[in-house]
Formats: sequence, structure tokens, C-alpha cells
Amino acid sequence: MRSHRFYTPWLLMLPALVWLALFSVWPAINTVTLSFTNVHQLTGGHFIGFKNYWLLWHDPHMRDAILNTVIFMVICVPMLTFLRLLLALLVQRNIPGIGFFRTAFYFPVIASAVTVALIWKWLLDDRGLINSLAQSMGFVHKTIPFLTDRWLLLLSAVALTVWKGLGYYMVLYMSALGSVRRELHEAAAVDGAGTVRRFWSVTVPGVRGTMILVSVLISVNAMRVFGELYILGGRTGGVGGQDVSIVMLVQQAASGSDGRLGYASAISVFLFFLTAVPLLFLTRLNKNTLEES
Amino acid sequence: MRRTTAVSAIAVAATLLAAGCGVGSKSSSAAANKTVATTAALSGSITFQTWSLKNDKFTPYFTKLISDFKAAHPGTDVNWIDQPGDGYATKVTSQVTTGSLPDVVNLPPDIAHSVAKTGNLLDLKKNVPALETDWVKSGLSAYNYQDVDGGGSFFAFPWYLGTDVSYWNKTMMAKDGLDAAKPPKTFGELVQQAKVMHDASGGKDYLMSRAPGLSDIANTGTKLLSADGTKFAFATDQAAAMLDEYTAAFKAGYLPSNVLDNSYEGNSKLFSKQEVAWTTGGGNLITSLKQDNPSLAPNVVPSPALDTAPLYVQGLSVASKSKNLPLALAFAEYVADNDNQVAFIKLAPGFLPGTTASANDPQYSKSDGTPQGDASVIAYKDMQTAVNFTPPIWTDAMNTILAQEIAKAMTGKESSKQALDNTVRQANALLTQ
Repeated sequence: MRSHRFYTPWLLMLPALVWLALFSVWPAINTVTLSFTNVHQLTGGHFIGFKNYWLLWHDPHMRDAILNTVIFMVICVPMLTFLRLLLALLVQRNIPGIGFFRTAFYFPVIASAVTVALIWKWLLDDRGLINSLAQSMGFVHKTIPFLTDRWLLLLSAVALTVWKGLGYYMVLYMSALGSVRRELHEAAAVDGAGTVRRFWSVTVPGVRGTMILVSVLISVNAMRVFGELYILGGRTGGVGGQDVSIVMLVQQAASGSDGRLGYASAISVFLFFLTAVPLLFLTRLNKNTLEES
Repeated sequence: MRRTTAVSAIAVAATLLAAGCGVGSKSSSAAANKTVATTAALSGSITFQTWSLKNDKFTPYFTKLISDFKAAHPGTDVNWIDQPGDGYATKVTSQVTTGSLPDVVNLPPDIAHSVAKTGNLLDLKKNVPALETDWVKSGLSAYNYQDVDGGGSFFAFPWYLGTDVSYWNKTMMAKDGLDAAKPPKTFGELVQQAKVMHDASGGKDYLMSRAPGLSDIANTGTKLLSADGTKFAFATDQAAAMLDEYTAAFKAGYLPSNVLDNSYEGNSKLFSKQEVAWTTGGGNLITSLKQDNPSLAPNVVPSPALDTAPLYVQGLSVASKSKNLPLALAFAEYVADNDNQVAFIKLAPGFLPGTTASANDPQYSKSDGTPQGDASVIAYKDMQTAVNFTPPIWTDAMNTILAQEIAKAMTGKESSKQALDNTVRQANALLTQ
């Protein structure tokens, strides 16, 4: 007896396929299309070849945007990957009141962008909490320019990202940690391995697959950084626009009734290929890990 | 592999096909240049869109306005919609691209310029014979664009006009040895008094509290555009000297240190919090202050704007692709006529109707003796010489570039002349993209 006709799986997948085609495939193709035109928000455009890509190459803000985005990714990926693992190790223990800490660590993830902006600006402003405390305790005489110095603003954005995102994949790690066999830890302890050694030799290999998955997701998100820099640096991308990210350039190019959709599309296509580099690297790493294991 | 190649080929072909054909909405000057049969009997319905005006203050006015029109023209209907203050350009943009622009729509000059370029606004010059005699020239010229029909069209009825008035905190000024009755009249005097306030308060009080912008450049006597009006040319020595003065004032601490970063709340907010002693605002700022900070309002003294006052215009446009153009045009003309504008402005003191009959009406030059009354009179007088500084070809992206370059100059990363040169170069490059 046949269990189903050949088209049954396709019928079941149809809603998802239609959704995918409408909201992923078609916009992607359209973005590539637009990147070869000079179309604006309200006025039609025409084919201009690779001119948008030439403009992108010569955009005075593009070098800053690439540098900021790459630095942001290079710092965020290892920090978030390992700090989340350590946090998961801490909160997986069943001790009284641990529920409060799990909730507290997860709270920034669900905080609204407006709340986050207010909190962090209040912390980092010239007359904010950190500067007021540092000055009143005599650590500094001049204010620390968190929101005006290029590198301090970028590092502040990293700190905001880490604070806000720490709890996000903590749950994933907690699940992965549950699958690391207790006997391995016990055997390592019997062999004389201390806590640190067991962490590197038992825990990390046990959750390596999850770590790579989390790294991939963080990399993609880091390459698309926008909100954190916008919250701290504003629409100009910091003082003088030196803290712009690539996505911020997309937003700046496309916004307004005179927005340059063609150019914004070209930046988006460029960002896609730039994001693909770390993704391919991590995918290859994952493949090698699987083959070794 | 073969399947991948086939998919790639289809994608590339679709891409090039679509790119080659051209994409996006096409402009159509034919629609904008239509002649509307104004003698036809009015019937049917239209949609009328305002911008952030549906509230307790203005709703009764618009409800009566519409019902009076319908009573005068039986068989007609007007559907009034209002859009929130934020994101109006985005909303109008989506209305244009989806072909749902309301028949009569409230547009500021910059958004109207973008819409007019697509041929979606009716040329009123062709359809309203009394346009240039019944509505003020300064308001009309804000809706006249050199790059649309060679500058031969007007795309909105001037609806209401506004300008900036200077407001001073007399308590703060008196504390620091300044007299609000003798406020600065020029930028140079402002810097001098800012120094007095800074020195007297030990750097705690501020008179100046904003970075310069396009209007400050124009106020140096610099022409923003080239003689033919096709490109920017404001990197002049006068403009650089003004920026040098701002930079020196910023370095000396006459402005709040966060004026260039994202924690800056704006001079109006800082004025309301009594952290700075000067702000600019519309003619009705004191009325607003009575709600935000009632204890401050009695201490506020208005004076004319420094140098030349800026002119802010709101207009009523007619969608050229309206399915009921005669009714849309008649309703827009009715809303923007002198009687209805006068009634509207009574609800918004400090603004002025965009009609010539009201522009010189002495009733606006009489104060009731209150600071708000004085501010309304100052706004009225300022508007006689106010100038709309912002060229219609100036865009959001250019504004961002200007803010970035000014911040670089004020933080010493480049000279004022370099900053202005860079702004002009990048803004001109955007004009050709």
C-alpha cells in the first residue's frame, strides 16, 4: 500500500515554500537587480552596470564601516561564545535562588531597544553614572569620552552587545551541557584533572558543535551590527561618522524620500559576500570537527 | 552541479532582464500638467490627509471645515485621515509607490519636491488663476522646483507659515550678569554673551547649546547654491569663519560638551530643563512651556531671531492622479483660502496664514501684553523678512554629511574650510547619483 502520492510532501511544504519565495528568494534577487540600477525611493531607475559598486569602493565612509564591523565581529564572537558557555556552566547548578539569576541574565535579551538606549546613554554620558563615579572617586579629572571617542564608542557598543546578548544562547548551552556525560568528568577527575583542565578537555569538546553553531550565528549578527551603534552614536554614526557600520550605511543611503535604493542594494550585496567569509570558515571548521569525531 | 548552474543562470538572466528594463515608479510630467475642469459640478468623494493634526485642539476645526464644505456641495464626501508626526516621509513614499497618495495632502516642501519629481502632484499654477495674487510669494516659492518642469510650476497652496523666535531665560541671565531685555541680535553678540555667562557661572551655565547647521551658513551671507541653482557652493570663507567661531566657543566650553554626541537632547529640551538660557522655537513655544515647565514660562523673554529668521512652510497639494481632480482641487483651495486659514491660525498662535490678505493684516501685530502675545508679534514681524534657507535639492543624506563634517571640524579633526569643502563635494556627488 502506498503511503502517499509523490506530490504529498510538496503540498505539505507549499506554505513554507511560498513564504520563502516571497520573503527571502524574491527580495534577494530583487536586491541584486536593484544594485545594478540608479533607482531612488520615488523615482524609477535604469541599468548602470557596476557604477554602484565603483561608488561603494570610493565611498569615504566605507573603509571605516568595514573596519568597525570586522573589529566588532572579532571581539564579539569569542567573547559571546565563551562567556555564554561560562554563564551556562554557572547557572546549570541547582542551588537555592538560581532561578533568580537565570531570569536576571536573560532579562537584557527581552528589554526593549528604547529602554536599553536610555540605560546605556545614562551610564556613558559625560555626566552619566560612570563618569560621575569616576570623577567623584578621583580616578579621572576629565570626563571619559565614551560617546565621542571613536574607539571608546565602538568598545561601548561591544559591551552593550555582550550585556544584551549574553543570556540568548545560554539556554542552548545549558541543553548541550546536559548531554556531556558525567562519567567523563569523573574519569578525568580520577586521573587528576583539575577544574580548568576538565573544562578544556571534557566540557569544551563535549559542546564543540553547539559552540560552532553559536559562533556562526553571532558572526552573522555581528556583521549586521546596527542597533547598538545607532543607540550610542546616533544617525550620524558617532561624532564625525567614524563609528558607522555597513548596515548603517545601507540605512543612510536608503532612508528619506530621496533614498538611493540602488546604492543601498549594492552595499547589501557586498555585505552578503563579506558575511559569507566567516560563515564558510566556520562551516569548514564544523565539518573538520565532525570528521575528526 | 548542473542544477546549481541552471538556477544561477536563471537568477542572472532575471537580474539582467529586470535591470535592463528599468525598475521603480516612472515620473510622468503629463499627469502633473493636467488642466482640471473647475467649472464641472462637484460630486463623489476624496481623501484628505493631514500631518499630526488630529487631536483635541484641531479635530473640531477640521470636522466643521469638512461638514461646511459638504453642506455647500451636496453629493460630495471628504474622508479625513491624519498621519503621526514620526516617519511622515516614509509614509508618503509608500503611498506614492503603491499609488495610494490621498487626493489632497499636507506636504512640507522637501517631501513635496520628491513627490513632484515623480509627477504625482498637480501643477497649481496651471489650474488656479489667482494663485500668485492670493497666496504669499515666499510660501509659493518653497513649492517651485528648478529641476521639475524647469521651475515653471507650483505644487502646493501655502497653508501655514512659521519661523523661529529667540527665547531667553531671564533668571539665568540675570544671575550671570546679563540682561534678557538686551539679548544678542547677531551671532557675534551671542558668542560674547555666552563667554560672559560661562565666566560668571564657572562654566556651569550655557547660552549656546547647539551645533551650527545649514541656516547658520546661509546667515553668513553665503549663497548655498551656485548661480544656476544646480549644485552646492557654500564652502566660502565667511562660512568657514563662522564655523571657526563655533569651534573656538566649543573648545572654550561655551557649549555643553555633549552637543555633538548622541546624548544631546536638543536646545529646546535643555532650555526647558533650565540647563541653557537660550533656545529658538516656534511662535507658540511659551504656550507649550506652560505645560512642560509651568514655573519657567513666566521667566521667558522672547526676542527676534538672530540675523535673518528661517521660514518654515506647510502646504496643501493635490495628487495629480486623483480620480476626482475637480473635487480635490476645489477642496484644497477651500481649506487654504484666507477665511479658513485665519480660523486655523487662531488655534495656533505664532503661525501665520499663507495668504496675501493676511500677510499684512495688522491684527497679527498687536500683542495682548503677555510674553506669548509678544512672541506671536515677533514671529509675525520676523516672517516679513524670513527666508526658507533649505534648497529643495537638499536631502536627509546631505544633512547627515553636514552634521558629520561639522562635528569633525568642531573636534579639531579637520579645518572648517576642509569640512565645508568635503560637505559640498559629497553633496554634489549625491546630486548626480
